[in-house]
Amino acid sequence: MKPSGPIDTFQPIADRPAPVQTVGPVAWMRENLFSGIGNSLVTLGIIAFLVYYIPPILDWAFFSANWSGTTEDACVKDGACWVFINAWSYQFFYGTYPLEEVWRINLMLVLLLIVIAMSFTLPKHYRMKASIAAWLALPLVGMAILYGGWGGLEVVSTDLWGGFTLNVFMAAASIIVAFPFSFLWALGRRSQMPFIRSVSVIFIEFFRGVPVLSLFFMGSVMLPLFFAEGTNVDKLIRVWLVLIFFMSGYMAEVFRGGFAAVPSGQYEAADSVGLSYWQKILLIILPQVIKISMPNILATFVMLFKNTTFLLIIGIPEVVQTLQTALANSYWLGGHALEGYLFVFLVFWASCFGMSVLSRRIERTLNTDKRD
Amino acid sequence: MFKQKTIEEAKASARRSSGNSSAAFYNNPNVRAIFYQILLVFGLGYFFYSIISNVLANMEATGIKTGFSFLGASAGYDVLMTLISFESTDTYGKIFIVGFLNTLLVSAIGIVFATILGFIFGVAAFSQNLLIRKAALVYVEIFRNIPLLLQVFFWYFAVLSALPGARQSLSLGEAIFLNVRGLYLPKMVGSDLFWVAEAALGLAIVGIFVLRRWAKTRQDETGQQFPVLNTSIAMVIGLPLLALIVTGFPFTMEYPALKGFNYFGGITVIPELMALAIALSVYTGAFIAEAVRAGVQAIPHGQTEAARSIGLKEKKIMQLIIVPQAMRVIVPLLNSEYQSLVKNSTLAAAIGYPDLFNVFVGTALNQTGQAIETIFMTIIVYFVVNMVISFLMNRFNNAVALVSR
Repeated sequence: MKPSGPIDTFQPIADRPAPVQTVGPVAWMRENLFSGIGNSLVTLGIIAFLVYYIPPILDWAFFSANWSGTTEDACVKDGACWVFINAWSYQFFYGTYPLEEVWRINLMLVLLLIVIAMSFTLPKHYRMKASIAAWLALPLVGMAILYGGWGGLEVVSTDLWGGFTLNVFMAAASIIVAFPFSFLWALGRRSQMPFIRSVSVIFIEFFRGVPVLSLFFMGSVMLPLFFAEGTNVDKLIRVWLVLIFFMSGYMAEVFRGGFAAVPSGQYEAADSVGLSYWQKILLIILPQVIKISMPNILATFVMLFKNTTFLLIIGIPEVVQTLQTALANSYWLGGHALEGYLFVFLVFWASCFGMSVLSRRIERTLNTDKRD
Repeated sequence: MFKQKTIEEAKASARRSSGNSSAAFYNNPNVRAIFYQILLVFGLGYFFYSIISNVLANMEATGIKTGFSFLGASAGYDVLMTLISFESTDTYGKIFIVGFLNTLLVSAIGIVFATILGFIFGVAAFSQNLLIRKAALVYVEIFRNIPLLLQVFFWYFAVLSALPGARQSLSLGEAIFLNVRGLYLPKMVGSDLFWVAEAALGLAIVGIFVLRRWAKTRQDETGQQFPVLNTSIAMVIGLPLLALIVTGFPFTMEYPALKGFNYFGGITVIPELMALAIALSVYTGAFIAEAVRAGVQAIPHGQTEAARSIGLKEKKIMQLIIVPQAMRVIVPLLNSEYQSLVKNSTLAAAIGYPDLFNVFVGTALNQTGQAIETIFMTIIVYFVVNMVISFLMNRFNNAVALVSR
């Protein structure tokens, strides 16, 4: 029964703010920075360290650095001599590739970007076919454009190739060509046929088990002995061949993981609708394997990309070799090792870190399992 | 995979038993399997035949000898650093051993320090302190993403060659010296009764195992715990120390001393070894930190909560609940990181540390021209070392693996 008469409406007291120690920046700091005596000391120590070291580093790298000029004499201030990087930037990126032909390298990079964009944006019903064909054609087209010797293009000998774009090219061209082979090796390793299986296992384990550097030496010293007398295969091509073998060993294991991760119901379903072995593999299994393996493929690529710096040891002028040449140049003897290494660090770090971020994003977008 | 196999086998046997005579024999999977494999045998046979005949023809044309007789020949060059006595008149065979020992040395140092760094930074990723968490993240993301070769060069050319010369050496208590020529450590030279201390150390190590067994049996029977770790540390330090005191310190310390332009005496660590070991440790440490982080993250939070609810202390939770479970994820990853560290130690060739690869595939190959023999001998060593690592880590993995009862 409701009481008659004026109803006393309930008047809540206004909310009091939460205690300052449990919410807001103070609480955050208490929890994350000063949660105990030991933690507070560590925090203060790290802050002191940063305060002590960051300003001089910033000062060296930016405020008293030398930015403009073309020769070493322009470096008059105490800080970093970025003029050095500026003056050598062409060589760092393109090696000794002739200046008037450098558009070919740039064209290559643009093509690479186009193919990457294609594989994400094309309409779905022919994306797979078109992008696979484009990827596989890319190394050969690239080789033809960079080397020239057809359609009025001047021949640029591989001795002149170099710099960071050579690292990119070697890594990309090897992994792309290795792709179909590694796929076959992975199938071979899963095969029922004992001889094919053991050959695949030996191949994969050999190329995964030996140091990359010994493979490069094989490419540069041992491989010439394998060719028939009189055939003279270019050194870069030989190393490329070896890198393809190396990569197909690693990628085969990546794909094997992918094959194992596809649910067996998929294989069975493909069998039950009467697809042949290759129809089953190419139409049903492979698309899923690529999707599952994408993060690992990128991780393998990052490893390969970092390993392309080892080419320096067999005398191929990739970016670190170019840096060493620049450091030994008689016009630049002012000790710019720090600037040079920092620059190359930064270039590699940005590429590799970017790819690992990309790989995480692809993993999220390709994860269609949870979408429905 | 196993399941897949049985399905295909079942299919194959079904086809066989049905005796389907309408299918042509070339559609029989067994016939096809044999055909493909014969094709592969011939393909490979031709491939290797042509390679071998090309190699022999090429070698004859260039006048390179074949076979391993060069191993007995005098090498005629000196090696920068040797763990066993070596002179330039010694054979290539001995150089092989010298290089092998140097490879083992740098790999062992690298593995120890990479593991320490990796576990410190891997656990630091779960610190309560935000700055420590960020520091761990920065360490991993920086050093994982820069090529190892650049890091080796950085330490060798930018850091170690920027150290002061011998006369201005950095020193620690007039016993340890660091300069551009290397790191100089004091050496302990034992005299006649020194073996007593060594025996005491051996006894302490054996004692630890006995103690562990005893403590475990006691805990199983009575539930009482025994401070095994503290007692072990006390035994390892205490027993040799006691032996030294009783025998009257039968050793002398050999300190490095400045003579002329450099330090002599004691143990010398050449900068090549330092640069390579630092770079390998820091690089692999970043990967191990990632592995440790993944391992700890793989454990459901419920484990920690359950452990808290039965009243375990935070330290004990880590020790008894988290770490043993995390190790199952970490150990296989450690296995592959250790193997790649050994393979990466070949980068010694870039700065001239005389590891197996550098002295054998580098110099010996250059002098003898016998590319195939030297490269394969070297590769086999790396295979064997990695197999040993894999074997040991698998043993360790079995020890930490989940035992279901």
